[in-house]
Amino acid sequence: MAENSKQTMNDTYETTGIPLLKDSKLSVRNVDVFYGDKQAIFDVNLDIGKNQVISMIGPSGCGKSTFLRCLNRMNDTIDICNVTGEIKLEDQNIYDRSIDVVELRARVGMVFQKPNPFPKSIYENVAYGARIHGLTDNKLELDELVESSLKRCGLWKEVKERLLEPATGLSGGQQQRLCIARAIAVNPEVILMDEPCSALDPIATATVEELIHELSQNFTICIVTHSMQQAARVSQRTAYFHLGKLIEVNDTSVVFTNPKHQLTEEYITGRIG
Amino acid sequence: MNDDILVGGHISRQFDQELDEIRSRVLKMGGLVEAQLDKTLDALRSGDSSGITDVEKLDRKVNKLEMQIDEECTQILAKRQPAAGDLRMIIATTKSVRDLERIGDEAERVAHMVRHVLDNGAAPKSYSGLLALGEEVKELLHDTLNTYARMETRSAVKNMRKDQDVDDEYARVLMHLIEFMKTDPDHIAGALDVMWAARSLERIGDHCINICENVIYLVEGEDVRHTKLSRIKKQLS
Amino acid sequence: MNDKATRLAQTLKRRHAAERRFQWYGRLSVAFGVACVLFLFTDIISKGYGAFTQTYIDIEVTFDYETLGLTPDSTETDVKAASFNSLFRNTVRAQYPEVTDRRKQRTLYGLYTTDAPIMLRDMVLRDPSVLGTTQQLTIVADDDIDTYYKHSFGQDLGEGGVIGRVNPQQIALVQQLHDQGRIHKKFNTILFTNGDSRDPELAGIKGAIIGSLLTLLVTLMLSFPIAVATAIYLEEFAPKNRLTEFIEVNINNLAAVPSVIFGLLGLAIFINFFGLPRSVPLVGGLVLTLMTLPTIIISSRASIKAVPPSIREAALGMGASKVQMVMHHVLPLAMPGMLTGTIIGMAQALGETAPLLMIGMVAFIVETPAAITDAATVLPVQIYLWADSPERAFVEKTSAAIMILLAFLIFMNSTAVWLRKRLERRW
Repeated sequence: MAENSKQTMNDTYETTGIPLLKDSKLSVRNVDVFYGDKQAIFDVNLDIGKNQVISMIGPSGCGKSTFLRCLNRMNDTIDICNVTGEIKLEDQNIYDRSIDVVELRARVGMVFQKPNPFPKSIYENVAYGARIHGLTDNKLELDELVESSLKRCGLWKEVKERLLEPATGLSGGQQQRLCIARAIAVNPEVILMDEPCSALDPIATATVEELIHELSQNFTICIVTHSMQQAARVSQRTAYFHLGKLIEVNDTSVVFTNPKHQLTEEYITGRIG
Repeated sequence: MNDDILVGGHISRQFDQELDEIRSRVLKMGGLVEAQLDKTLDALRSGDSSGITDVEKLDRKVNKLEMQIDEECTQILAKRQPAAGDLRMIIATTKSVRDLERIGDEAERVAHMVRHVLDNGAAPKSYSGLLALGEEVKELLHDTLNTYARMETRSAVKNMRKDQDVDDEYARVLMHLIEFMKTDPDHIAGALDVMWAARSLERIGDHCINICENVIYLVEGEDVRHTKLSRIKKQLS
Repeated sequence: MNDKATRLAQTLKRRHAAERRFQWYGRLSVAFGVACVLFLFTDIISKGYGAFTQTYIDIEVTFDYETLGLTPDSTETDVKAASFNSLFRNTVRAQYPEVTDRRKQRTLYGLYTTDAPIMLRDMVLRDPSVLGTTQQLTIVADDDIDTYYKHSFGQDLGEGGVIGRVNPQQIALVQQLHDQGRIHKKFNTILFTNGDSRDPELAGIKGAIIGSLLTLLVTLMLSFPIAVATAIYLEEFAPKNRLTEFIEVNINNLAAVPSVIFGLLGLAIFINFFGLPRSVPLVGGLVLTLMTLPTIIISSRASIKAVPPSIREAALGMGASKVQMVMHHVLPLAMPGMLTGTIIGMAQALGETAPLLMIGMVAFIVETPAAITDAATVLPVQIYLWADSPERAFVEKTSAAIMILLAFLIFMNSTAVWLRKRLERRW
């Protein structure tokens, strides 16, 4: 009875839990990713719900970051990386020829592991996306956009006096929130976050997590994290990757109290790393 | 279910040790509680109340163990942030420890009643049913501790069924006592003592079932409290 | 335990000794290097400082119509044809009426630069109103007199110790002029205002400096954009395949090719094939471009590589196109490194002689070039030419030119350091 309820991994596999949803923002079907001859992602099927936070967890090298980077085609920058399958952003296959990566990335923003503000002023950082995509008509609109983006990230009060100072002078947590502000300034539909707090101290992490929670009301957020506690805190759904396979997807509350797959259990209780 | 999956196999060996220690403490506590009930029933059976003081002594040990285990669980929650099976293990343990401590209290209460009854020289007839009930509860407690030690959901369900027998037995004892009181109103005070004792024994059975439910929660992750036995069986199959 | 302690003590002793030895090797190497540089500098400066002063002799010249065979109505052509030589000789002779011997008279004229009559003529051409007047003039002394006056005058050195080819009569004349207060040293502006000359006292490096600047200008205008474009393409856009690998290897190889080969290449392509004129800054610049390209490409690529990938990811993640990413983020961050590489390449080009010899920039050119298609020479070639000249006075000129070249190099390298410090941004 107990043995049966926990599945083990085979070559052909089925994702445990509830990977598919009725209506979704992003839907991923049969996605395989290859780095040259090496397969990094195996037949992933997953739906990501609108205005939800979904977290991807798993041991290092399990493919969670690779998978995340498929969602805004950041993998395109790697020559040997090849993605097959279908990823739909609201019924539009993002790997379709008619889709321009530039347009896609304006719709699917990304925040990286290490805070990476441009070595320009705070203002320029936030304004950059709007500038290159031509989202505003004049300086006034741009000013407003910068202000509202910074406000949404709770950074406005901290930086309004020094908008023209270099962004690299901010603290790590502030830099990461600035990167989030920069991402939401182009008003994307989905925000991808690749271990956004791994370079931050616990207090800065808490502020970023709070921000993620607030943003989830308006954005669909996919977050890759090494911290299981973080996944538990910020996400509604959790996906567990293991050796390139999507092992289990479930409500976060289920995954962290009663995961259905043996591997998930072993990972989150600290038995495999 | 393999024991190792529940407590062993962590990357942190120290965590394994801590969990193992908690589990063995719980089992030790179970042993003490069982001894309490044993001694009480011995006194009842032999009509010799001298062993009752041991029950009280044991109760102090049980209380101490409860606090110790709770503290260890708190430490694990604080330091390890357990998840999934580990989290359920800690939750189930703190709950079970509370139940065990209650079982100890109830056993002590029964012991006091027994002493009172024996000291007052009540009619042995009035507590003959009590002994049978006690034996049944004792068996249930023993099985429950085994269930906990082996983390078996199957025997947990079996124990739940057994508790229904205990409840039936309790109802019979009550009926007897009511009859007895009707026929022998002079001994109503003694009969009431017996009734309280029977009630305590029945409560021990209920605590055992709580522990079994905890075991099911621990192993399966299913909360089966306030659920009918038939539903539980369906859920687990 | 005791055994361990003694063993430890032993090895520790050895290790400390090795450390001290190593430190001493380092110190000795540094000391040797510093000594070499100091020796070079003291040698050059001690030889060359004299070239920055020049000996002048005062003389009173009467531009008398009769001697010149001119009238107040004479035209410029007449002036050019006039006998300034006689005027000058007469003037000098008049000062020493006691000297009648022709040979000794020639020695008298030889106190002054051989170009003295031409200087007088030029003066009249510049300003005809001096005709008929008497002017107090200061005329450059001959190179031998100059060398003697600067280095040996006033010292009792005996016959052999005198620097410069002077005879006792000249020494006596210089002593006489000195006593009259007519001979004196001044800062040598000729060095900076004249082109090359056969006469050391009239030779300057203006032509070479301008030539060098024009050549460098051509090199910079060509090599910087080409190198930066190559570096960016190879780093950011080119697919990583065998062809690009082959190109990379060859760029690295080119950096190691001896510069004289580039000179031959330039000779074959630019002069023989395209028929460009010889010894002009344009061809020199083209050849030096070929030579400095690998250096600049390699340093530019290194500085592009040094831009953290996180910045590229940030830009791409924002939806910037690749060109936007490069132009907005990579290039500004890599620019200090690129500029530093460029300046170092330019400094290399400035000091280069061999390839320029191949394309004929070794010619004797008096005129200062005004355009990149004028025949010119460059500083290092000028140094080479002067070092080859037999006149004693060219020794100090050579050293002076080296000092000037070194000053340019030091200036360029400090600019590189300053630029790096200034533009370097933390990320």
